[in-house]
Formats: sequence, structure tokens, C-alpha cells
Amino acid sequence: MLMRQGGSMMLSAAGFVLAFSWFLPGYALYFHIGETEKKCFIEEIPDETMVIGKYRTQLWDKQANSFLPATPGLGMHVEIKDPDTKIILSRQYGSEGRFTFTSHTPGEHQICLHSNSTKMALFAGGKLRVHLDIQVGEHTNNYPEIAAKDKLTELQLRVRQLLDQVEQIQKEQNYQRYREERFRMTSESTNQRVLWWSIAQTLILIVTGIWQMKHLKSFFEAKKLV
Amino acid sequence: MLLELSLVFFAFSTRFIALAAFSQSFDSDFTFTLPAGRKECFYQTMKKDASLEIEYQVLDGAGLDVDFHISSPTGHVIFSDYRKSDGVHTVETEDGDYALCFDNTFSSISEKVIFFELILDNMDQDLDDDDDWKEYVHGTDMLDMKLEDIMDTINSVKARLGKSAQIQTVLRAFEARDRNIQESNFERVWHTELSRGRCLWMRRGVLYLRLFRDVTGRDAGQETGTIPVSD
Repeated sequence: MLMRQGGSMMLSAAGFVLAFSWFLPGYALYFHIGETEKKCFIEEIPDETMVIGKYRTQLWDKQANSFLPATPGLGMHVEIKDPDTKIILSRQYGSEGRFTFTSHTPGEHQICLHSNSTKMALFAGGKLRVHLDIQVGEHTNNYPEIAAKDKLTELQLRVRQLLDQVEQIQKEQNYQRYREERFRMTSESTNQRVLWWSIAQTLILIVTGIWQMKHLKSFFEAKKLV
Repeated sequence: MLLELSLVFFAFSTRFIALAAFSQSFDSDFTFTLPAGRKECFYQTMKKDASLEIEYQVLDGAGLDVDFHISSPTGHVIFSDYRKSDGVHTVETEDGDYALCFDNTFSSISEKVIFFELILDNMDQDLDDDDDWKEYVHGTDMLDMKLEDIMDTINSVKARLGKSAQIQTVLRAFEARDRNIQESNFERVWHTELSRGRCLWMRRGVLYLRLFRDVTGRDAGQETGTIPVSD
């Protein structure tokens, strides 16, 4: 009976932590954004990597000279582009939102945020404070949830976490190898083109030099100077 | 009865501590574009006696440099870098919001891509007392102690892997910067040099033939069989 009570207390603790994992951690970075301003962040990630972004907005209240805790009706438009500049997510969220996507090609993904609200003009000095947190790869895993679902002990959960971490590091290294290959190809292509171009220029130089000599010679002969 | 209670408390508290230990990490990195002539500031709320380490790097944009400064919650500038391409700073913090500002106002045409990484330490001070639960546990046998050693080893492996991942992020930023330099060199060499070379040769040819035309007159040019140069 006591064990059952302990079990239920445990589950409520898990639920408590789970609920808060939806929202931002208390100490996320924040920045200010103007009304029509667009702020873009670049995430360079390998393929099949999940990214979760969470944001929270606050509006500057001139009367109270502080930021309001939450403003309903104030939305943010989130646009995410993949490395081929194709839009993979373009959605409107409320004053608090959570967006997630999984990359299918490795490369630089662009996450852009801008406010869609025109109400800010009414609040003079349209300044919006945005708290943002972006988690990539194994940081997106919700371990309390995984522990509850697979019924793992603490040790097993720790080992699972280590496995996820190593897997992510491995993916990053593979991506790094692919980028290094592309880098090497670009370098070799540049070197080759520089080489061929300078050879071509030298040949043109020689050919025009010979032609000039011949031309000058025939010119002087024609003018009966030689 | 007491043993049951203590066992339940033990199970509950270790579970809770384990779950809380898997809460969100406080390290974050961002890569953003700073337009020309603009200044962008990012703010981080800090607690007393915590530490904030920031590492930044300019990845793209002519000159690869940016101004950077850190301001304390009171507005006092702690560190200031002038036109650096990368930097690392550690701040022992007080309570309040610290401002991390990147300034590209000295550049009027080129926008910069800036990568920065924030590492926060000692932020969750309430979790430092997670060893207190051991005081409530009675009669731990040899098996539990060995498990604790394994836990310690695993924790240290996790910390090291975390550090490897952080270093990997920094190396990735370096590589991105080198690749951007490389690709801009390629563009420059191929397109600029090629078209510049063509223009140069054409100009030379035109000047050469014009020389003859000016010196000898049009008739002489036609007489020697050169290609007549039309106006």
C-alpha cells in the first residue's frame, strides 16, 4: 500500500517535470524584435536530426514601464528553410509556441521569426521581447518520458542517454566528413581552373606575341623601312 | 514500518532527482546574420555566483570581424572587443540580465554571419544538494555501493561526451568559416578574373590596332592586309 503511494507520487513527479518540459527553461536567452523585423538563425545540422524550438514573447508596456507576462493575440510567424532554400515549415503561432522539424538533408537550415501583429503600433515604442531556446539532436529527447514508457531504471536511462549522445556525435562526424569532401572538391576545382586559365593566358600571350612580330615585320617591309 | 517508509522515500527521491537531472541543459549556441550597419543584443538572465562563458566567431562576411561587448545588469561594460574575428570570455555573474552585443555598425555594405555559444555553470544550485538523500537511506548493502561507483563512472563519461559535443560544435564553426572563405575565393577567381582577363585582352587588341590606324592612316592598314578597324 505504501509502495503504491510511493509509485503514484513518483508518477506525479514525472508528470510535473514532463509538463514543464513543454515550456521554456527559466533561463533562456532573449532578444528584442521590432514590429516588422525578421530575425533569422542558422542551424547547421546533419540529416535525420530533430530540432525543437521554443519561444515566449512579452510586450513592452509603456505605462507600467515593464514587460507584460503574456499577451494574447500577439503571434509570431515561424519560417524554416532547408539547405536548398526550400520552405519546410511556415506557420503562425501564438505568443508562446513550440515548433519542431526533422532535417532530411544535411546542411544549413534557416529558422526565421517575425511578428505578424500590427497591434504593436498601438503600444507606442513597439518593442517585443522574445525568449528563444533551440534544442538539436539528442537534446530533443524527453528522457523522463522515455524512462516512463520503457520502464528503465536510473542506470539504464543513463546508459541510454550515453548511447544517444554518442550516436549524435557520430552523425556530426559523418556530416563533417561529407563537408570536408565537398571542401576538398571546391579547392581542387579552384586550383585546376586557376592552372588552366594561367596556361591558356600564357599560350594566348605567346600566340599574340608571334602574330605581332609577324605583323610588325610585314608592316615595316611594306613601308620599305627594312 | 519505518523501513518501508524509508525505502519508499528513497525510491521516490532518487527517481525525482534522476528526473530533475534530465531537465533542459543550459548550454546553447546560435548562428545568426547581422545586417550591415546594425547592432544586435542578446540577453541572458543569470543568478548570483554562477558563471557565464561565451565563445563567438564570425563565419562569413568581408573582413570576418565584428565588435562585441558584454554589459552587466547595471549597464556597466565588462568586456569589449574591437573588430575581432573570434573571442572567448568568462564572467562571474550577479543576479540580473547580462547583455551580449554584436556591433556591425562600422561596416556599411557587408553583413556578417556570427556564431556564438553560451555555457552556463552553477545555475541550478538547488540540485547541488542532491547528495542529501543518502542521509535518509539506512542499511545500504555492498550491491548499492557498487552501483554508485558505476553511476559515478557513467556520469563522468556523460560529462566528457558533453564536452566532446561542445568542441565538435566549435570545430564545425571553424570549418564553416573556412568553407565560406574558400567559396568566396572560388567565386572571385573564376568569375571576376575570367571576365577581367577577357576585358583586358580585348582592350589590348583594340589599342594595338588603333595604334596602327592612328599612326599610319586607314589606307596603310588596308594596304598591309590587316583587318580594317571600323570606327
